[in-house]
Amino acid sequence: MKISLNWLRDYVALDASAEEICRAITFLGFEVENVIRTGAPQLNHVLVGEVLTRNKHPNADKLSVCTVSLGETLGVKTIVCGAQNYTVGDRVPVALPGAVLPGDFVIKQSKIRGESSDGMMCSAKELGISEDAAGLMILADRPALGTPINSVLPPGDTVFDIEITPNRPDCLSHLGIARELAAWFKKDLVYPQGKFRGALAAGAATRQDLLSAVRVEAPDDCPLYLAHVVTGIKIGPSPAWLQQRLSAVGLRSINNVVDIGNFVMLESGQPLHAFDARKLAGAQIIVRRAADGEKITTLDGKERTLNSSMLVIADGAKPVVIAGIMGGENSGVTAETTDLVIECAIFKRQSIRATSKRLGLTSDSAYRYERGVDAHAAQAAAWRAIDLIVEFAGGQVVHPVHQVGEATSWHREITLAPAFVRERLGFDIADADMKKALEALKLKVTELSEVTHEAPGAQTTKRNEWRVTVPSWRDDLDRPIDLVEEILRVYGTERIPPTRVTVPGLVGDDDPVVLFNRRVTDYLVGHDFHECVNYTLRPGTEVKTWAPEGAVAQLALANPFVEDQSHLRPTLISGLLATLKLNQSRGVSVSRLCETGRVFIEKNGQNLECAAVGFIVAEDTERRWRQREAFDFYAAKHHVVSLAGLAALDLERQPLVEPQGPSTGWQEGQSALAGDLQQGWTARFGLLSLAMAKAYGLEGKVYAGFFAILPEKLAAASSARKRYADFSLQPAALRDLALVVPVATVASEVQKALAKAARAAVGTAFSLESVAVFDVYQGKGLAEGTKSLAFSLVFRAPDRTLTDEEVNAAFTKIQADVVQSTGFSIRK
Amino acid sequence: MQDQLSALLAKASAELPLLSARPDFEAAKARYVGPNGELTALMKQMGTVPKEARPAMGKLINEAKTQLQSQLDAVHARLEINELAAQVGPAVDATLPAPDVGPGTYHPLTLVREEMCRILRKVGFTVADGPEVETEYYCFDALNTPADHPARDAQDTFYLPEDVRFANVAKKTPGEKYLLRTHTSSVQIRTMLKGAPPIRIVSPGRVYRRDTTDATHSANFHQLECLYVDKNVTVRDLKALLDYIFESLLGKDTKTRFRPHYFGYTEPSFEVDLSAKHLPKVKKEWIEIGGCGMVDPTVFSGVGYDPEVWTGYAFGMGLERLAMLLYGIDDIRYFYQNDLRFLKQFA
Repeated sequence: MKISLNWLRDYVALDASAEEICRAITFLGFEVENVIRTGAPQLNHVLVGEVLTRNKHPNADKLSVCTVSLGETLGVKTIVCGAQNYTVGDRVPVALPGAVLPGDFVIKQSKIRGESSDGMMCSAKELGISEDAAGLMILADRPALGTPINSVLPPGDTVFDIEITPNRPDCLSHLGIARELAAWFKKDLVYPQGKFRGALAAGAATRQDLLSAVRVEAPDDCPLYLAHVVTGIKIGPSPAWLQQRLSAVGLRSINNVVDIGNFVMLESGQPLHAFDARKLAGAQIIVRRAADGEKITTLDGKERTLNSSMLVIADGAKPVVIAGIMGGENSGVTAETTDLVIECAIFKRQSIRATSKRLGLTSDSAYRYERGVDAHAAQAAAWRAIDLIVEFAGGQVVHPVHQVGEATSWHREITLAPAFVRERLGFDIADADMKKALEALKLKVTELSEVTHEAPGAQTTKRNEWRVTVPSWRDDLDRPIDLVEEILRVYGTERIPPTRVTVPGLVGDDDPVVLFNRRVTDYLVGHDFHECVNYTLRPGTEVKTWAPEGAVAQLALANPFVEDQSHLRPTLISGLLATLKLNQSRGVSVSRLCETGRVFIEKNGQNLECAAVGFIVAEDTERRWRQREAFDFYAAKHHVVSLAGLAALDLERQPLVEPQGPSTGWQEGQSALAGDLQQGWTARFGLLSLAMAKAYGLEGKVYAGFFAILPEKLAAASSARKRYADFSLQPAALRDLALVVPVATVASEVQKALAKAARAAVGTAFSLESVAVFDVYQGKGLAEGTKSLAFSLVFRAPDRTLTDEEVNAAFTKIQADVVQSTGFSIRK
Repeated sequence: MQDQLSALLAKASAELPLLSARPDFEAAKARYVGPNGELTALMKQMGTVPKEARPAMGKLINEAKTQLQSQLDAVHARLEINELAAQVGPAVDATLPAPDVGPGTYHPLTLVREEMCRILRKVGFTVADGPEVETEYYCFDALNTPADHPARDAQDTFYLPEDVRFANVAKKTPGEKYLLRTHTSSVQIRTMLKGAPPIRIVSPGRVYRRDTTDATHSANFHQLECLYVDKNVTVRDLKALLDYIFESLLGKDTKTRFRPHYFGYTEPSFEVDLSAKHLPKVKKEWIEIGGCGMVDPTVFSGVGYDPEVWTGYAFGMGLERLAMLLYGIDDIRYFYQNDLRFLKQFA
C-alpha cells in the first residue's frame, strides 16, 4: 500500500527525515518495499533567472553563451547552455556554483570550450522533477528573479510502498500508519476536524423521492448500512491539493465526488460508494444476495454473471453494485450528476472474499473489506466524506438519513501483568516504559491493586496487574501475549539484549528417514555419484512410463499449476533421466547420478508416501587414456543391495518378484524387481528400456537402481539390534561342484537346491558354511539348451579339523542327492 | 673328505651366483642339500670316518653346510627381488589422470542443509522428518490458519483429488483434504502430538507452493525450521539462537536483527534480517533470511500442551535462499537442473 509522507503530516507532525520514518515503519512491523520520491528535492543555490542575451558559442555549434539575470542582489551571470528550446526573455531555473543536483551532480564555476560559465540553466529532469529532458524548464508563470526554485515548484513528496500484514487492516490507511508513527515518535495524532457530525441543517429538505427506503435482506453479510443523500452538487475537477494527494499514491483524479470517496478510504480505511441518486429505480436500496445468473456490468466495462452466494446492492429493479467490490456502470456518478447517495457500509469479510475470488475481481475496497474494516469508524468516515463533498462539490445533506443495523458494541479489556511481559521477553523493561508503549498505541492502562494468585499446589504469588483497554480498530489484540508484542514493537526489537544459547543435552536421535538419506547419499557419493535434486511434480506423460496404468490417475494433483508439473513422482529415475538429458543436450559428459527423496507409490488403490533412493549410470562418454570395464546389471544390483543394506534389509535373501504388467521404463530380461510395499519396501534395478531411453532422446545404455521404503519401516529397522553369533576358528574344507541345468533355470534355484542337499548331507556332524556360484558356462561341451553353474562349498566343524574322509563322504552324498532331487546332472 | 668338501664348495661358489631362474635354483638346492644331495651324501659318510677324526671332520662339514646355506640364501634373496621386480612392471606416469568417473559430489542444498543441522545439533536440536503429502489439519488448522485464510487458497496450495487416499498419511478428521505441505511447520505439529515437551527439533524438508517458476520461485523448494518447547522460553532466547546460528555459519562479525511481523502460529512474530555485506552478490546491508516467533498459545492448546506451562519458539527459513546467499547463486532453477558444471562447484 502506498503511503504519502506529506499526507501523513496532516495527522502527525513528523519532523524526522524520510530515512528515519522508513526505519520506523520497518521496525513497527511493516515492510517498506519501496521508497518513491516525487516532485522536487530540496535544491539549494537553484534560483529563478531570466535569459537576457543568447549568442552562439564561438567554438561549438550546438552551444550558446547567455547572460542571465538573477535579480538585483546576484546580478547577471554568464552561462554556457546546450539547450535549444528557449528564447531571450524566458525565465528558467539556474543552478549556481555550490548547487547539488540529483545524482550528486555538483555545479561549479567552469570553462566550457574556452568560455567561462557561472552555472547551469536546468531542465526538469536535471532538477529531479520529471523525466522531461527535452530542454530547459521554462517557468511560464514568470516568478520573481532570484526566487529559490523550491518555493516555485510544487513541494516534493516521499511515498512509501508498505506491505501491511493481514492482522493489521487498521493500517490500510494514512490515519492508521500515522497512528503507528505517532506512537513511535511520541507525537500527538490529530484527527481531521469534522463539521457535519450528523446534524442536518435546519430546514433541510426531505427527499423521499430520491431515496425512500434502504432494506437489508442479508443482515449477516451486511451488519451496517449507512446512506446519506446530498443534493445540488456540481461535479467538477478536484482541488489541486486533493489531486496531489491521490496522484502521490498512484490514483488518477476522476472528479471531485469520486476523488473524495477514494480520499476518505485512503485516509480512514473505510470504503465508500457514491450513487447518482436519480439512477436508483424506485428510489430504494436493497442489500441482498444476487439471483443465480443475474448480470451486472461493472465500472471496468466487463459484464459479470452473479450467483446467489454473492451480495449485491440493488435498487428497485437491478443490482447496481457488487457489494464492497465494484460499482455498476448503471448507477455511477457522471458529469451530469446533481444528487448523490453516499453509501458507507460494513460487509462480512468472508462474503466479500468469496465473491471477489469467485469473480476474479478485486479492488481497493474489496481488499479492505476482506481484511476487516472497523465498524466503529464507519460513521465518522461518512461524515468526513460529506464535509468534503459539501465543501468541494457544493450541495447539502437532505432527509432522510438511512441507517440499517449498527456497529456491535465494542468493549475489550485484557488483564496484563508486567511480570508476565518480562517473563516472555526474557529481559527487563520498566513498568513505566511498558505503560507508555501501550498508551502511545491508544490502549488505555488501568493499574489494578496487587493481585494474589493461588495456584493449586503452588505457592501463593503476588503481582501487579493492569487492565488494558483495547480500541475498536485493534481487533487483533485479545490476549496478554498480544500485548507483549505491542510493547516490544514500540520499545524496539533492535534493543533485545544479546545472550548465549544455553541448552540441556540432546533429547533424541535424528529421524530414521534423515539417517537413511544421509547414509545412502554418503554411500553413493562415495561411489562417484553426483547427487541431484529434481522436482517432485512431473508431467503425466512421464509418470505413465513409471507407474502402472491404474495408478497414474491416483498421482494426479487436483489443481496443477502447469501441465508439466501435474503428478506426484512414483520414482526418482525419471528426474535423473531429465538431468541426464539436460547435461547431454548441453554437451556435458555425465555418467553417475543419484537422488534421495519422497516418492508416491500406488498400492491396492491407495497411495503410499515412501522414502526413496535412486541412481542411474549412463555410458561414460568421456574419452579416457585407459578404458574401465563397463557398468552392467550386476553392478547396479550390487549398489541396490548395498543401499537396501543401509535400511537393514538383506536383499540377497529376498526373492525377486515378477513385475506385474508390462513396464515401459525397464528393459525386460535385463532388469529385476524385489520386494513389495505390502512388506514395506520395493527395489528395482537393471537396464532401462532401450526403446524408452531412445524415445526420450538419450544416448547409450542407461542402468539404474531404485529402492523405496516406508518411513515407518525404517523406524522399525533402526531399533532392531544385531546379536552376535559364535563362529568357528577351525580350518575350512572346500569342494567345488558344477551342475548342468536348463538355460532358463535361475542360479538362486540351483543354489537353494544344492544348499538344501548339502545341509541334509552334513547333518549335525559339521556345518555347511556357504554355497556360492563361482562360474557360469554355456557352450562347447554342453548340450544345447543347458548351462553349467559351478559352486564352491565351504564346510567347517566348530571343534576340529575336518578329515578328508568325512568331507568326501558328505560330498558324494550331496552329489547323489542333488541329482536325484533336481534332475540336474553333475558336470564332470 | 676334506678335499671333497672344498671341491663341493668351490663348485657351488662358481655355479650358484649364475642362477637366474627359480627352477634352476630349486634343482641346484636339491643337488647340494636335498636328501640325495652331494653334501648330504658326504654327511652320510661320517660313519666311515675314524672316531678320533670325527669332531674335526664334523666341524668342517658344519662349516661347509653353513657356507653353502648362506650362498643358497643369497641366491634365493636375489631371485625374490628379481621376481617381484618383474611383477611390478615399468614405472607409472603418476601425472596421468585417474581413468575413472568421479569423484561424486553432494548437492549444494544437501551441503547447506547438513551444515545447518550440524550447527543446530550442537545446541541440542535433533532432526525431525514428516510427510510431504499433508492434510489441512497439520498444515493449516493446527497452525492457527483459519479456513478462510488466503494461504489455503487452491490458488496457492496444491491439493489432491478428494477420492485419493494416502494409506500412511493419517487424517485428523475424515473430511480433510490432502495437500502438498506449504511449509515444514506440519512436522512441528506431528512432533508435538507424538511426544511430550521439552522438544527441540529442526525439520528440514521439501515444501510446495502453487507459483510461477522463475529465478526466485520454484514449485517445490526446501525449508528448515526449528522448534523449541520448554518452560520459560523467552524472546531473548530466540534472538540468541539466531545470533548463534548465523555466527556459526558466517563468522563472528555477522549480525541479525528482528523486525516485528505477523504469522498465525507465533506471537510475537518477527522477520529475521542478516547483515550480509560480506556475502557474494549481496549489496544491501540487511537481507531478509527467515521468520520466527514465540509459539502462539493457540497452537499449544491445539496439541494439548498447557499454554500456561509451556512456552517455545519457532524459526524457519528457505534453504535455497540461504544457499543462494552463501554461494552467490542468482537463479533458483540451477538447483533443479543439476548441470554437472554447477554440481561440481560445491564439492
